[in-house]
Amino acid sequence: MPHTVSASDLQLLLLEADTQARRLIRRLRLPRAELDDIRQDLLVDLIARLPAFDPQRGSLGAFAGVVLRNHATRIAAKIRREREMVGPTPVSLDEGLPERDGVARGELIAEADGLSAWLGQPVDGFAAIEQRLAVERGLGTLDPRDGALCAALAHTTIERLAAQGRGSRSTLYRRLEDIRLALMAHGLKPA
Amino acid sequence: MTRAITRLPAVRLRLKEIDLCGWIGQAMPGDMLEYHRGFLALDVTEHGTRLAERDRTELARVARRAWWAAELGLVHLVQRRHGPDDYGYLAIARPKPRRASASLGSFLLEEVA
Repeated sequence: MPHTVSASDLQLLLLEADTQARRLIRRLRLPRAELDDIRQDLLVDLIARLPAFDPQRGSLGAFAGVVLRNHATRIAAKIRREREMVGPTPVSLDEGLPERDGVARGELIAEADGLSAWLGQPVDGFAAIEQRLAVERGLGTLDPRDGALCAALAHTTIERLAAQGRGSRSTLYRRLEDIRLALMAHGLKPA
Repeated sequence: MTRAITRLPAVRLRLKEIDLCGWIGQAMPGDMLEYHRGFLALDVTEHGTRLAERDRTELARVARRAWWAAELGLVHLVQRRHGPDDYGYLAIARPKPRRASASLGSFLLEEVA
């Protein structure tokens, strides 16, 4: 006899589907706007398989968990296959953006913003050039020893430099603070 | 006959070195900032009593940084007299040079070599 779904059972199924959908969004780095679609896909599959649930063999939560996990794996495999076919981040300029009243991506991106903006990164081309100039202007005014410290810090830490005998920790931190202030005065904002 | 001695006006630390650097970095040409009001030479001296030691040390840093920025052509430094021993010390932002003089890449290459 098919199991009847009570209100609390339904609540459990919704919760499980939501958790699984969020996990999938996170794992595949999908846009948040996909959450509702994926949750719905998972729920539809789960409801379609509900007649197969046998209370003698386990709880509804365990059944839902297995079904949702399996379907999530299938969705993930499908998305990965699509990505392999068309590249890691397929982007269409004609794609409507969420919460923008159906405005397409292409209509909102200025040519000067560059490719990064197409991929959803908040990049202002002019600000990026300003930033690069600020860095280079700032670096140009640094003492050569401070420049060397910046270069060394690109791949190691103050602690390791101190251990290598390039100055005491406190001296290195003081120099770093001074470099930071100098770069800030040249227009470099904190990351 | 005795003459009344003018009392020095109260002084306070207006901003820290990091605030000044942040302002210089973001200021548009012509923007003006009063980074100290008082008598700077007196206020940074160890014998001055108008500021707590901690504030005096910070003010000395602010003044050094302002001078450093002026030497690099980032600001003009001027002062405005308000009264006896009372000046406003102003930094006026200059246009930032457009030429880039170094790159992190060159430092990285030197580090490798």
